[in-house]
Formats: sequence, C-alpha cells, structure tokens
Amino acid sequence: MVPPTTEALQARSVRFRIKRQDGPGRPWRWESFDVPVEPGANVISCLQWIAANPRTVDGRDSSPVAYDAGCLEEVCGACTMLINGQVRQSCSCLIDQYAPKDGDVMRLEPMSKFPVVRDLMVDRQRLFHALTRTKAWVPIDGTYHLGPGPQDTPQRQQVRYKLSECMSCGCCLEACPQYKLEEHESRWDKAFIGAHAISQARLFNEHGTGNVLASDRLDAMIGPGGVSDCGNAQNCVKVCPKDIPLTESIAAIGRAVTIHSIRKFFTGK
Amino acid sequence: MASTIAGFLDRHYFLLRRLHSLTGVVPIGVYLFPHLATNSSIVWGKLLNESKLPAGQLESLGIAAHAGVETFQHEVNFIHSLPGLVLIEIGLLWLPIAYHGLLGIYFAGTGRSNVDRYRYQDNWRYTLQRITGYIGVLFIFIHITSLRFGWTYWGLMPAFDPHAAASSTAQHFQRSTLGTTFIAAFYLVCVLALVYHFANGLWTAAITWGLTVSVHAQRRWGYVCGAVGLMLAGATVASVIGFSRLDIDAARQIEQVMRNGGAGAARHVEPGASNVLSASPDGRDR
Repeated sequence: MVPPTTEALQARSVRFRIKRQDGPGRPWRWESFDVPVEPGANVISCLQWIAANPRTVDGRDSSPVAYDAGCLEEVCGACTMLINGQVRQSCSCLIDQYAPKDGDVMRLEPMSKFPVVRDLMVDRQRLFHALTRTKAWVPIDGTYHLGPGPQDTPQRQQVRYKLSECMSCGCCLEACPQYKLEEHESRWDKAFIGAHAISQARLFNEHGTGNVLASDRLDAMIGPGGVSDCGNAQNCVKVCPKDIPLTESIAAIGRAVTIHSIRKFFTGK
Repeated sequence: MASTIAGFLDRHYFLLRRLHSLTGVVPIGVYLFPHLATNSSIVWGKLLNESKLPAGQLESLGIAAHAGVETFQHEVNFIHSLPGLVLIEIGLLWLPIAYHGLLGIYFAGTGRSNVDRYRYQDNWRYTLQRITGYIGVLFIFIHITSLRFGWTYWGLMPAFDPHAAASSTAQHFQRSTLGTTFIAAFYLVCVLALVYHFANGLWTAAITWGLTVSVHAQRRWGYVCGAVGLMLAGATVASVIGFSRLDIDAARQIEQVMRNGGAGAARHVEPGASNVLSASPDGRDR
C-alpha cells in the first residue's frame, strides 16, 4: 500500500486531478490544479493552497475544493478519501511519497461508498448508524454509583486496546466488495454493517462491563447485513490505517454467533 | 411473491446462510473426494492394479489388459449396487447442490468485485470464488443432465452407460461433435474451477464458523486447504487425460468380458445384466 519513498526532494510543481461535485445528486467533473509543493507537504496543505489559489491548469477561476479534516494527525478519520484510487487519510499522505518529481500527477476522489456532500467531502452517517446498531458502548448510566468495574488481565486489555484504536474512518468499508453505497437511511439496517462495526462488537463484548449487551450485539450480527454478509475478501485489514486485526474480529464474531445461535436454539434466549 | 421471499430470507437469514456454508462442505465438497477418486481410477487403477481377467481371453481378442478399465467399472458397479441410489442422489447431492447454487448466485449478487482498485491476492481469491461458483452451477447442470440423464446436447455430450462405464465415459470425451480437445479442456477448466471453489470455500467456512480466528490459524488452515485442492486437482487432471486417451474399443471389449463373467470380475456384475447389456455397447438407447 505504501508507495516507494525517494530522497533528495526539492520544491516542485505537482498536478492535482480532483473529482468535483457541487452538491448531493449534482453531476461530477474532473478539475486539475498545479500546486507548488515543498518537501514534507501533505494533501491537506496542498488543498489549502488550492483554496487560496483556486485556478485550474486551464487558467480558469474555480472555487476552493471542499474537504473534511479534523485532527491532521491520522486519529480522527475525517479526511479519508481516495488518493490515486486507493482509500487513506489525506492528512498523513505525504506528497513526497506519491509525487516525487516535478510535474507528477496525483488523483483525489471522494470515497465512493458514502453520499457526496460536496467535492471530497462525504456524509459518513451510515458508518455511525452501524455503531448504534451494534450498541458499541459500555452501559454505565444509572441512578447510583456502580463502583469500580471488573478486574481484567493485561493480555485481554492488550487485545481490546488494538481494537479500540478504530477511528471510524471508513477505509475498511470503502475497500470492501460487499459494502455498497446506500443513500437512503431506510436501507441501512439491512445492508452490510461492515468490518469496523463487527470489530467494535467484539471490542465491547470482550469488555467486562460492556458484555452485558453481548446478546443484543450478537443478535444484530445474526440478522441480514450482519457478519454473514462478509465475503472474506479481507481487503479491510489491508487498508486499515490502524492495523486493526479486522479479519480476526470477523472470525471471532463468527465463532460467537455460532455458539450464540446454538444456545438460542436450545434455550430460546 | 418477491416480497414474500425477501421476508422469508430476512426471518431465517442466519440459518439459511449457515446452511449454505455447511452444504458446500458437507455433503457437496466431501462428495468430490470419492467422485474424483473414482474417476481417476482409470489411471491409478492401471498403475496400481493388475488385470483380474484371464490373460488368454483378452489375448484371443487381440487386446491388452487394462486394469484401469476394470477398476473403474468395479467402482461404478459398487455405486450402482447401493440401495436407494436415487434417494441418496436426491437427498445428498441434487437438493444440496440446487440449494447451494441458487443461494450462492443470490449472495454473489450482493457483492461487487473491486480487484481493479485493490489488487490483493485475497481480493482475487474472493472474486474467483464467485466466478468459479457461476461456472460450477452451469457445469454441474450440464454434467448431471448429460452423464446422468443422457441429454446428449445434439451430439456434443455422448451419454454415459454405467454397465460400460469406462468406454462410454471415453466416448463422452472423444466422440463429441466438437472433438476430444474441446471436451477435455471444458472438463479441465470447469472441474478445476470447482476444485478451487471447494478448497477456498473450505478455507472461508472455517472463518465463517469461527474455527480459525487468528491470522496464524487461518494461514495454517490455508496450507491444509491448498493441499486438499492440489490433491483434487491432480485427480482431475488424471481423470481427464485418462478418459481422453483411452482406447474405446478395447475398453468396450474388456467390459464385455467382465459382463460375460470373466474370472474375478463376475462377482461385480448383477445377475442377468449381461443379457440386457450386450445388445447396445454404446448405451445410447437406454
């Protein structure tokens, strides 16, 4: 996934070919901008330069390219987009790795599995809806102090820590052949829930207090759009910027629903 | 109608998905072992066994002994001696295959391959699993209708006769209007596609059911599935070559000798079978 690095880079001009769309449901078009790039620049800094100088390579005045960004250190997931056709965060995407030479071209597109709001900005609401479907939280609200949580071993904490690094960026969903664009909220509950939510179900089922909702989570995983919809292409784990073992989570939830469904068959619960 | 089906799918989604996974391994996948072992006996039977027919009888006919023909006929006789064969076929093969195939086509339609963007080996594996599934459904339909029900597809697929097993299978390969090479290539591509589909399906089923959770377990199980696939692929190649090159007339005479109670072979043949059979060695009118 990581392109080859080159050394001894200098200031140069890089052409950005950007897929633009003025709003939801509007037609899209390509626009190209030549951007002077300093060593160490990233995609966001180049988009900022374009915002200040929105003139295409044809010399036409255009508008600033809309994009989403938050932390600028690859922990919030907001700036996820397709760079040269591959999904990743644009803040941590260094131009030096992608366009080392003067005149090199980089292609920016919005993610294809979420509705476009404008230009490179998408609406990832379905991704967060999946987390509510999964009940991806620890239920601790109450009217009295619950005291300290259960003790846990460092080994189990280590497993959970890795899973907890998920920033809901959507890379796993973008690369997944089983996850398709669903514009309408009415279809979200039956469409494939995605690797991130399956992994979060595992995270909170492994949690000493969170597992009181384990049965609910597994019921969500059993229904249409649940873990059965995974096609084992395993792209998710390869594009995950946090190296979360998503395929192991999918298998772990597969095991959990196997046991859960057998128990349900015999006990009715 | 469509909404009724969709509602049924929704309510029993998990059960239907897991049944789809299960039927792929048992009975369909497991059936590949005896099936391909029997077919390839045309080669290993010749290599491992000696002819059980009296040498003088074959010599007087001017043909060489071929233990592969005898072994294959022996295996086919055993299968046809099973009680309630049609019930076994329907319950353990046709219904599971129809179920796995139809739901498989439906499930495959829920995905959209993206190997053009993400060229990972696993992504190719995913895509191939769907392509080989489509090939498999088509092939199994042609395979069962031609070799089991005797549809000849206008001479493209000469029929099978269980009483002249090796020679009629060889005819199926060599006497097609499109020629031996075409039929051999057709079988090679389709059966190898199915072998891949089974080997990969065996690998993913272990993930689906939660047997292989860790990456290491998945890799180790991958070696096992790869070995199973290579073994079945070997049997496939041997079968196709064996029947594409078999001397049909010699095989027919050997089968005739077996039917007429050649020493050591008579015990495999049903009583009274020889009268019915000797009439039509090419088996087309049965």
